Amino acid sequence: MKIMFMLTAALFLSVMLMQHNAVSMEAANESAVKSIVLPAIDSDLKEGAGKDKVATYCNICHSPDYISMQPPFPADKWSAIVHKMIVVFGAPVNEADSRTIIDYLSSNYGTGK
Amino acid sequence: MKDINFSRRDFLRTAGAVGLAAAFGGIPADIFAEGRRLYKFPEKTDLILLTSRPPQLETPLHYFKELITPNEALFVRWHLANIPTSVDLNKWRLMIGGNTDKALELSMDDLKKFEKVSFTAVIQCSGNGRSFFEPRAAGGQWQNGAMGNVTWSGARLKDILTQAGIKAGSVDVVFDGLDSGPLPKVPDFVKSLPLDKAVEDDIIIAYEMNGEPLTMLNGFPARLVVPGWYATYWVKALREITVVSKTYEEFWMNPAYRIPDTPCACVAPGSKPGKSVPITRMNTRSLIIEPAAAASLKVGRTVDIMGLAFSGGYSIKDVTVSVDGGNTWRESRFGKDMGKYSWIQWYYTWKPEKKGKYTLMARATNSIGESQPFESLWNPSGYMWNKIESIDVNVA
Repeated sequence: MKIMFMLTAALFLSVMLMQHNAVSMEAANESAVKSIVLPAIDSDLKEGAGKDKVATYCNICHSPDYISMQPPFPADKWSAIVHKMIVVFGAPVNEADSRTIIDYLSSNYGTGK
Repeated sequence: MKDINFSRRDFLRTAGAVGLAAAFGGIPADIFAEGRRLYKFPEKTDLILLTSRPPQLETPLHYFKELITPNEALFVRWHLANIPTSVDLNKWRLMIGGNTDKALELSMDDLKKFEKVSFTAVIQCSGNGRSFFEPRAAGGQWQNGAMGNVTWSGARLKDILTQAGIKAGSVDVVFDGLDSGPLPKVPDFVKSLPLDKAVEDDIIIAYEMNGEPLTMLNGFPARLVVPGWYATYWVKALREITVVSKTYEEFWMNPAYRIPDTPCACVAPGSKPGKSVPITRMNTRSLIIEPAAAASLKVGRTVDIMGLAFSGGYSIKDVTVSVDGGNTWRESRFGKDMGKYSWIQWYYTWKPEKKGKYTLMARATNSIGESQPFESLWNPSGYMWNKIESIDVNVA
């Protein structure tokens, strides 16, 4: 990833200069470097208690649309999903915050059960 | 990328800032397809946005009127947020090693020295159609657009492994790409194939799609192509191939991407399977593309019902069509045959003689008799959707 980062940084200027082209191929060395710039996309979550915790922790790994895309789930399903994020994916969420996040998800993206 | 797309994007950004989720009402219809938000990513056309980071983009159905899916319209699905956005081919090397006689470091030029193989194959996400399952399954809420039919070109994996020399006692071949997770504990997206599968003739390291270099979002500079099997194995932006002497069982092989170990790969809706196995070969499915659902048709006017059908590596034997909700079935005609991994386009000419609502259905059967069920075969992850499609149209 360090190399990737440096490459990205090195190409940043040339990409910026290309203005209306989000794909760049280095001209000096034919087709050797290919770069893209990912668009910044806004997606927001419903207002509600605990939204700040969701924004802080869940966004580390994925955009909020991962949440808003889901069908309504009962609280135990949201709880299982949040615990998977902590146990399997290493989300740095303590017990109190995990309860806040589960409550937020169940209230705003839940089935009411 | 044309200017219009930037203005469209800027507009969306503004719309998002004022609460896009709350009110879609004021946004022009042309940035939506099938009621869902469209977005343009680099090298791609406007695709249905499921998620932005990592990106999951779905192909709007109308592209499936074409036999070959254009590169810019092919769906996108990444698992981990750190996806490759820049690759220098002077530095990129595909590393092959593990339980082999020697280690290889192949540049793109080296890769292109192997015999070039080309074929057309359907690429389909395991979760294509997930949003149709009841009860609903967590995950990417795809409709039918997490698939495409693409002509892939590249080097045979077998030829590369042979050059490295597979040692006795090898069991699996493991594939890792350039993507990674944002936290140390996030399991790297790594997939494996059993060795006997990996050395089949038709498994290639593809560096071209439809005669062009891969788009970055579809796995530039090279990806694995496992025709007939779900796209979870088609590891993008390949970095390393490792031959191992025991079954590879890390997260993305187990517990992820598993299906019930039952003949139908299904369990009673809502229940938990006992034993599970890795998902592998695609089942048989078909789709009606034209007319569109809820289309208005005219009495006495001929309609060409058109669709596609494919299965996991066996050619489609027939596609039967019903215009009366499944009471009677007639065989359709096929378009050009692009081989057993491609989808086939089918056509059925119909002249509705009476006014009313009609339910159109299509059912494909492959050369070994695998077909489609009338009721969906449920599994907890929402994989392998292949229920017989049914759409309603109005004749007036």
